[in-house]
Amino acid sequence: MNRILRKGIVAVLTGTMVLGLAACGSKGNGGSGDGHLVFQIWDQGQKAGMEAMAKAYTEKNPDVTVEVQAVGWDEYWTKLEASVSSNSMPDIFWMHSNQIYKYADNGILADCSEIVNEADFSEISVANAKGSDGKLYGVPKDKDIIGLLYNKELFDQAEVTYPDENWTWDDLEKASAQIFEKTGKYGYMAYAHDQVGYWNFVYQNGGQILNDDGTEAEYTEKATADAIKYYVGLQKNDWCPTQDQFANTGAAEMFFSGEGAMYYAGNWDLVNLCTTYPDMNGKWDVAPLPKCPAPAAGEGRASISNSVSYATSAKGKNNEQAMDFLKFLASEEAQKIQGQSGAAIPAYNGLEETWKQSFADNSYELTLDNLISEFDYSVKYANNPSRPSWEPKVEQTMLDIYAGTVTVDEGIEKMQSIATEAMAE
Amino acid sequence: MKKKGRLNQDSKWGYLMIAPTIIGLLVLNVYPFIDTIMLSFSSAEVFGGRQFVGLANYTKMFSDSEFWRATWNTVLFCILTVPIGVLLALVIAILLNAKIKGKVAFRAIFFLPMVVAPAAVAMVWKWMFNAEYGIINTVFHLNVDWITNPNIVIITVAIVAIWSALGYDAVLLLSGIQNISKSYYEAASLDGCTKLQQFRYITMPMVSPTLFVVLIMRLMASLKVYDLLYMMVGEGNPALSKAQSLIYLFYRESFISGNRRYASAIVIWTVLLIGLITALQFIGQKKWVNYEV
Repeated sequence: MNRILRKGIVAVLTGTMVLGLAACGSKGNGGSGDGHLVFQIWDQGQKAGMEAMAKAYTEKNPDVTVEVQAVGWDEYWTKLEASVSSNSMPDIFWMHSNQIYKYADNGILADCSEIVNEADFSEISVANAKGSDGKLYGVPKDKDIIGLLYNKELFDQAEVTYPDENWTWDDLEKASAQIFEKTGKYGYMAYAHDQVGYWNFVYQNGGQILNDDGTEAEYTEKATADAIKYYVGLQKNDWCPTQDQFANTGAAEMFFSGEGAMYYAGNWDLVNLCTTYPDMNGKWDVAPLPKCPAPAAGEGRASISNSVSYATSAKGKNNEQAMDFLKFLASEEAQKIQGQSGAAIPAYNGLEETWKQSFADNSYELTLDNLISEFDYSVKYANNPSRPSWEPKVEQTMLDIYAGTVTVDEGIEKMQSIATEAMAE
Repeated sequence: MKKKGRLNQDSKWGYLMIAPTIIGLLVLNVYPFIDTIMLSFSSAEVFGGRQFVGLANYTKMFSDSEFWRATWNTVLFCILTVPIGVLLALVIAILLNAKIKGKVAFRAIFFLPMVVAPAAVAMVWKWMFNAEYGIINTVFHLNVDWITNPNIVIITVAIVAIWSALGYDAVLLLSGIQNISKSYYEAASLDGCTKLQQFRYITMPMVSPTLFVVLIMRLMASLKVYDLLYMMVGEGNPALSKAQSLIYLFYRESFISGNRRYASAIVIWTVLLIGLITALQFIGQKKWVNYEV
């Protein structure tokens, strides 16, 4: 009896543990009854800004309330995908350029062409809200940009002048070498990353990741390959940590503990960095990305820009109300509220100042004009419908190059074939 | 006749009582499990569209070197963590059972890692193993790339895994040891048995059923290792492809590449692997687990 009992307990334990693996089920958040809209986002940090817009909308439309729900990034996409199959999508949700083709091309998203005046928004943010058929499937929400963060104290100690808009890659290297020599701290920290890393160098050099219509990869084109080699080669300098070191301590951690003088970051990180490291306020600043001194084509300037959109389901239960709220989100008024919350740079033209102001209001000393001026030559984040299947493998290949298991040339060839194969499927 | 009716009445109540658990199990575990099996046989169509493709996902999987590497990593991780972890837990359990001062405090301390969130555990250990600034390299004057050397990183994660589970296993074993009647030991010492003999002939056989449960749980947990790897190794680490486990590979395929069908095949393989190893343990236990009291 005892034996059977114990066996039973063990069997049940085994069963639940094994089965538990498969239980990644998720429940969708359905759009509920009239007058109540569910608005789902993936960034807790922007929840207050979204709620401020919802409140402004409710003031005008007292019979409609909007509930903002924030969930984590991974969970967000699992939930959203599950809610499609169960037909219970949130009324309004954020859409990322990583995923928009998948949703737009399968007829999941409502056409927003009617409610958006394209001329009001930045070109890149409009392009990022389009499906493969060229129609708008979302309202442009924001636009982002990459900047060079530098530690003023280390620059002062090494007697190097601060980076400005005339800096080239050569200046970046020279300053790094001098800082390393005089202070023993790292210079420019070039860690493995596409959007915040080598892509910027590729476009500055006149290369491309994808061709203009996104149908072919261009990793092996000379301008692209040269820039990748240059970027990977930066880690060979004494003044740059190796990828192994970055895996131990991230570039941001090294930067804010005063171990490294420069790194690239997206503008979306800034609010967080300011609040996480209040003691560093005034001791660091942002500069435009250094330009390529001898580009294969173009002016040598580029900074990758990506954006998020607001979207709604094509077959939602509260479609009319959701569309009306989306229309509000596309208005200058709502975009202004978003900018003032400091969360992101509004996609609406001419509202950069509102975002800037939110930093000044908190007396964070950053020269944000340096980032905003980059929008004059910003480049759209490389994207096409098959991106989710090639991007992780290409990034893995980058890491293999850093680990030395493949040479740079082999790696670039491999990246090209990975992307080409994925696009053919 | 009457008696039989009575029995039915009883079983009705029985079924009613277990219904919440069983329904929960069916909806949350059994249904997704069957669904996952079906997914693993279908093609990569988005949003619920399913096309039966037979074994295509499995043939792709078995011809992928990354998959075999992940399988080996998972098995290696078990070999590293399970024997050492369970043995250490047994030693600690015996020590905690001894007559020492502050026994309760020690028990609490050993159990503490179980109460701390795994993510926090991993973050703290990651800093301790930091090659440049970490306390371990500093104190022992070492220069080991704990987190980025592909040959070492599995050992690093194994150390943390053993540390995290030690207290829990020890408490389970301790309860097993405390269930052993004192009279056995008294009789044995009257007969002149040494402490070692007492352990070998009384403690071991009597605690073996608990030990078996601990062993099975630890093995299954090790075969499913994921969170520690995610937190300590993570994306951007050149050693990741050399160190990832099956469930980590599943995570990357499913949530990063959005390849649910292929990922399902990986997870079904993992289930089979766990099932196989557990079955072997059930066969093996006949040789050493003692159920006679």
